[in-house]
Amino acid sequence: MCLAVPMEIKTIDGFLATCEALGVRREVNLFMLKDEPLEPGDHVLVHVGYAIQKVTSEEAEASLQLFDEILAAGA
Amino acid sequence: MSRPAEYWLERLHGFANSGPVRIMNVCGGHERSISMAGLRGAIPSNIELVPGPGCPVCICPEEDVFEAIQIALNEDVTLVAFGDMLRVPVNVPRKDPRSLEQAKAAGADIRPIASPSEAVRIANADPSREVVFFAAGFETTTAPVAAMLAEGVPENLSVLLSGRLTWPAVAMLLDSEEPGFDALIAPGHVSTVMGPEEWSFVVDKHGIPAAVAGFRPDTLLQAMVSVLEQRRTGRPGLDNCYPEVVRPGGNPEARRQLDEVMQVTDANWRGVGVIPSSGFALRDAYAAHDARRRFESYADDSRKRVGEMPPGCDCARVVLGKIYPNQCRLYGRACTPRKPIGPCMVSDEGACRIWWSSGYRDNEHERRQAVG
Ligand code: SF4
Repeated sequence: MCLAVPMEIKTIDGFLATCEALGVRREVNLFMLKDEPLEPGDHVLVHVGYAIQKVTSEEAEASLQLFDEILAAGA
Repeated sequence: MSRPAEYWLERLHGFANSGPVRIMNVCGGHERSISMAGLRGAIPSNIELVPGPGCPVCICPEEDVFEAIQIALNEDVTLVAFGDMLRVPVNVPRKDPRSLEQAKAAGADIRPIASPSEAVRIANADPSREVVFFAAGFETTTAPVAAMLAEGVPENLSVLLSGRLTWPAVAMLLDSEEPGFDALIAPGHVSTVMGPEEWSFVVDKHGIPAAVAGFRPDTLLQAMVSVLEQRRTGRPGLDNCYPEVVRPGGNPEARRQLDEVMQVTDANWRGVGVIPSSGFALRDAYAAHDARRRFESYADDSRKRVGEMPPGCDCARVVLGKIYPNQCRLYGRACTPRKPIGPCMVSDEGACRIWWSSGYRDNEHERRQAVG
């Protein structure tokens, strides 16, 4: 449950964003980062539908590889 | 810049002759990465990797799960909970529903959710219906619940909160006679929210080497090298091997929201007992959304006596890193993910389930008995 996934912000509407990772789109709440300037193209670490931290695109890419592997292993 | 896993693995082999050492992790995500990547088989055999208290579902008190089941069965409400919680069993007579899943089958309106936002959406969809959100989790999961409440929720939504802090369980182990580990890998996403400083006590008070790690094998291996290096030089410190995400002070806004909505209290851990200052409770300002106050009559203290694991289940000792999952008598025999007996086999973050799904099939308890 504590695992968080990095996702790319596509659109922002108030504290709600549409984010994408591995081809999947999700609605993400940005309230925990409300003082952080965020815009489409930025990456955030998403946990239970909430962005808990901003991350660089390099970090996002590197961790997504791991998720790809976990998903491939059918976990 | 970060280096590849092979580099850290090679460095780890440099510690092959430095005697036995036990490194504990306190995060189901870490344990999953370690097991799935087969790191135990790749590192020198003198280095033991011990899964510790890393599963919030596993230690969620029996009386809380029971309370959620009773509210769902007897009140006219919709009860929502993170999916993992639905199969967690309580100790009741055979004919009674022993999990939220069984209560649902018996007619209660219970729905799994993946996000606090879904609880809000369900409550908004029908303002005339009470929605109770049974929220178990460590800091990483409890902070979004706090954010949900801080942002504002509809009147018909209340929270049955079973949030826990991870570090007090580690503090309890370190204060005990036999902590069971010599170095610590601190949780990555708990630290993302709370800041790595939460773990300074491990080093400052106990002289135990510690490092915060991410979830890829390379950062986990780097953290192992870090703690072993600290040990070798006799200079324990708190290393941060996940700096891309874990910043000093964590996420300050998330911590502010947590503090605004919740206060820290003593809390019961299933099979373990009460750990001081290890739980979250809603502040008075949020009393209107506190299911514990709205449904006060369901708080049943007498349940605390049965607040143990199911009979025969050694989950509490697994959670505390006292035994490995496959040292439980029931592991892989009576207890598998298809027919779980204890919460450690139910939850995706439970060490028993992680070990089983990573391919550990050997039951050590049985083997030892056979050897005599
Ligand atoms: S194998 Fe099953 S019964 Fe044994 S400790 Fe794990 S969850 Fe409990």
